[in-house]
Amino acid sequence: MPFAKKPQVFSASINELTLGTGDKATTLGGQNVYNLYSFDAPIANRPKIGIDVSDEPDEPSPGLTAFYAGCTTLAEKAKKAASLEDVDFVCIRFASADPNGADKSVEDCVADAKAVAEVVDKPIVVAGCKNTSKDSDIFSKVSEALQGRNILVLSAREEDYKAVAAGAGMAYGQKVGAESAVDINLAKQLNVLITQMGVDGKNIAMNVGSAAAGYGFEYVVSTLERVKAAALSQNDTTLQMPIITPVGTETWGVKEATASVEDAPEWGDQEERGIDMEVETAAACLAYGSDAVILKHPESIKTIAQLIAALM
Amino acid sequence: MALKGLDIFKLTPKTNCKDCGNPTCMAFAMKVAQGAIPIEKCPHMSPEALATLSEATAPPMKSFKIGEHSLGGETVLSRHEKTLVSKTLYAVNVCDCMDAAKQDEVIASIPKVDYERISERMYVEMVYVNHSADKSADDYVALINKVKGLGRPLVLGCTDVAVAKAAVAAAAGCDFILNGADESNYADMSAVAKEAKVLLGVRAASLEALHDTVEKLEAAGNKDLILDVGAASIKDAYANAVQIRRAALKDGDRTFGYPSIVNVAALSDGNAHLEAALLSLFTCKYGSIVVCSEMTYAKALPLYGLRQNIFTDPQKPMKVTPGIYPINGADENSPCCLTVDFALTYFLVSGELERSKVPVNLLISDASGMSVLTAWAAGKFSSSSIKKFMDEFDIAGKIKNRALIIPGKVAVMKGEIQDKLPDWSVIVAPNEAVQLVKYMRDEEWKKSYVEKAPAAAGAAAPAAEAAPAPKKVMPAPPIVVNGPYKLEDKVVTYQGHDPASKKFVVIGERIHCISPAIRKAMDTYDEGPILKRAAEQIAAGATYLDVNIGPAESNGPELMQWAVQLLQQNFNNVPLALDTANKAAIEAGIKVYNRTNGKPIVNSADAGSRIDNINLAAANDAIVIALCSADGIAKDNDERMHHCHNMLERGLALGMESDDLWFDPLFLVVKGMQDKQMDVLNAIKAFSDEGLKSTGGLSNNSNGMPKHIRPIMDSALVAMCMMQGLTSAIVNPCDLRLMETIKSCDVFKNNTLYADSYLEI
Repeated sequence: MPFAKKPQVFSASINELTLGTGDKATTLGGQNVYNLYSFDAPIANRPKIGIDVSDEPDEPSPGLTAFYAGCTTLAEKAKKAASLEDVDFVCIRFASADPNGADKSVEDCVADAKAVAEVVDKPIVVAGCKNTSKDSDIFSKVSEALQGRNILVLSAREEDYKAVAAGAGMAYGQKVGAESAVDINLAKQLNVLITQMGVDGKNIAMNVGSAAAGYGFEYVVSTLERVKAAALSQNDTTLQMPIITPVGTETWGVKEATASVEDAPEWGDQEERGIDMEVETAAACLAYGSDAVILKHPESIKTIAQLIAALM
Repeated sequence: MALKGLDIFKLTPKTNCKDCGNPTCMAFAMKVAQGAIPIEKCPHMSPEALATLSEATAPPMKSFKIGEHSLGGETVLSRHEKTLVSKTLYAVNVCDCMDAAKQDEVIASIPKVDYERISERMYVEMVYVNHSADKSADDYVALINKVKGLGRPLVLGCTDVAVAKAAVAAAAGCDFILNGADESNYADMSAVAKEAKVLLGVRAASLEALHDTVEKLEAAGNKDLILDVGAASIKDAYANAVQIRRAALKDGDRTFGYPSIVNVAALSDGNAHLEAALLSLFTCKYGSIVVCSEMTYAKALPLYGLRQNIFTDPQKPMKVTPGIYPINGADENSPCCLTVDFALTYFLVSGELERSKVPVNLLISDASGMSVLTAWAAGKFSSSSIKKFMDEFDIAGKIKNRALIIPGKVAVMKGEIQDKLPDWSVIVAPNEAVQLVKYMRDEEWKKSYVEKAPAAAGAAAPAAEAAPAPKKVMPAPPIVVNGPYKLEDKVVTYQGHDPASKKFVVIGERIHCISPAIRKAMDTYDEGPILKRAAEQIAAGATYLDVNIGPAESNGPELMQWAVQLLQQNFNNVPLALDTANKAAIEAGIKVYNRTNGKPIVNSADAGSRIDNINLAAANDAIVIALCSADGIAKDNDERMHHCHNMLERGLALGMESDDLWFDPLFLVVKGMQDKQMDVLNAIKAFSDEGLKSTGGLSNNSNGMPKHIRPIMDSALVAMCMMQGLTSAIVNPCDLRLMETIKSCDVFKNNTLYADSYLEI
């Protein structure tokens, strides 16, 4: 029997979610096939790449330090990051707001965000310090300051979704990221809760959990695959939000990326190890279901952009 | 893929001749579909029909061996559906078009990446030896002879038949694949491969042409193939890799049911980072052999970790090899942190310890790959298993520091461990790994450190007095029976149980040492809380009571005898399930057990390390709960039934009645394993069809759900299970909704006669 292609095209599709405004706006999702399966049907919007810019002064590798050389403020770093051609959006991260760390004030975070918005015209994503009460405060104040810029806040979690959804999503019309830790049932539940509060499901993106390759990444794989399968094959509207996966923050923290050449001479150049860890993890996330990845290193960004372009 | 009865019926002669012993062809076909009789029973099936049938029952993807590695044999597209069985193999490309120096450089680089990660050797498994059209057969043979020295299986990439013949001769003596058939040369190339008895790689300009070529090769009798997805472009290669695998596994197209080979060296065009991305992409989907230009540690470290994650069996925990793992340059003078061998626990704990920057020896003890609390409850992480580990690995001989920091979650074991390891100062760490950074960095652990005087130095050292006194083993007190037991002024009596009754057997699970109140009561032989829980369950309609005393290492036999007599004497010889990893305790319990209302139940045996509990049950004429799993959850019902039959066979050989083995399919949690729930239900049906009894911890399905949801889920599941033939369950009888459902189902199943008051009796 001759081979007959059987494209796997679904009647359901992933929601389209647009971030930013004007001609630099970027749209995530929209496809009615599994990720990267452009041979099944044209992909509405190619997967997107964000760059992670932290407000902490230290960078995890010499290459990154060199890249941001001369930048003294978050705005300068963000401007430099946004200048990379392959970057679709800029994710500013207020890591130093952590009350157990530098405890930067919410006002200073807002001032930083405003300064970033003045020099960056690409879409802005705002990430916090992982302290839920501080984060929800930062998110609503930054959302207020950046009203009209159509930003995304990362993220609303089980512990703080009410404050984040009310502040960022409902009061100021920004996009809301729903974050759960590799648990498909919780991912769904969180979307239900946020929409029950009055946020339109079309304004939600999901971060369903992240890990570096080799570090329990199987849970990320299965969560991504199962979320996309439920969204497309079961037409589960509570899981049709596009998935945005922070990769760089995970991969630049494991020893394969951080060990110095002195510590692990047989492993070779640290920069290369960090880049490949980021690139390989990102490629796997895209293969299994992420609609956007957030990376740190310019070389990783260039490589993943090449990969995506080659597959579209 | 199993054929349905109607599909088989279409292939029968439809003459209703009865030669097979069945009244009609339809009846015959239905039985064949169930596997009840073989198709050969029909003498009139046409050869074509038989071929169709054997084709339909063949696995969807062929599996092969190359050296010690397996290729193919996948049955699912995603790991969560079942498990992926043949991990991606990596090869490095070397070509006769390279100059000799470059060839040598590549060959020399191949063995450089070689390390171990979670008990798995990580290295370049194969070498791809490519022939370029402008080179001679001699050039190619010379290269093969050089590469052979590496002692790894080869892939010979060569489409020239004459050169291939010479290459095959040169490669004789090593394992190899001949990747060289295409649309024009397939017949001759197939002959070369068949003569050498090796796998033949096939390529073509399009998927359609590839399909045609494979069909022609199969028609000519060659089914030892591997499919090259091509290197026209990244997009094409990816489309082909996915569509080939999907056609085979999802659409049942066996022509594409072969492993694949992907050459990312050719696709990445010298871009090392892009090659890394492609290695990852094709490991995810769906390269069986992936060829790259060079394997560096930078590429390998994430790649092999990724592969290890993807190809682990989702039903089996990833385990770390037990031993000493020095962290932050720890030496013999650094303190020890002890935990279990569950890979996630290891990564979490080692990661946090690394972040603390404090030198510490991480001790990983064997706990069957379970997390700390689960291992503790199952008796796999106990003071004796820890003692055994410390002795086996000679920790005291290798490490001078005597601080032994144990996980906060098992603080309860501190005394027992201290008793067994008197030379060590046992210290309890915080509950969560994240708290370890501060705990270690601020040296909080030192506050609990007790200096141990060397044994010979005598008792003079003052610090020794501060050591916790060894835990005293209290002798069991006499059994207390204070007349009829009253619960809120109502007398609770056990109504009795007829073992021959068909009614659903409810085994009450509430006397369990994981409950703090019960644990405390058992520690102090305080009968009050235990009798109260027993009375509540009996009043609610429990048939049996489960008595879980935990590992009870110091006083198991005494404690179990006390508990058995206490419960039976107070409640009209209520039958009991004796639940502990401590065999001596079970035997002792049975010695004093009264059988008026039914045999004792041994909870539980499995098809793995606990299979001996079947012998224990047989020797003591007890019922045994037989868990259909060995090492982790069974991956499918074939495996469940395999375990079931193994245990059944063992029980029968030991003289047990089949009714005394109650098979437990192992109920799975919905939050996490929703897609496996029907498997469990079908396993119950399979037990029932074979006339076997079944039971299990049914409420595990609703673990992690909100309190108000659990009774709803549990009731729905018990109704479905009883429909499938479940005969018993280990549940909380105080769940009213659940008990009402069970009683109602017993009415529908005609196990008990209906009366308006059926819920009250």
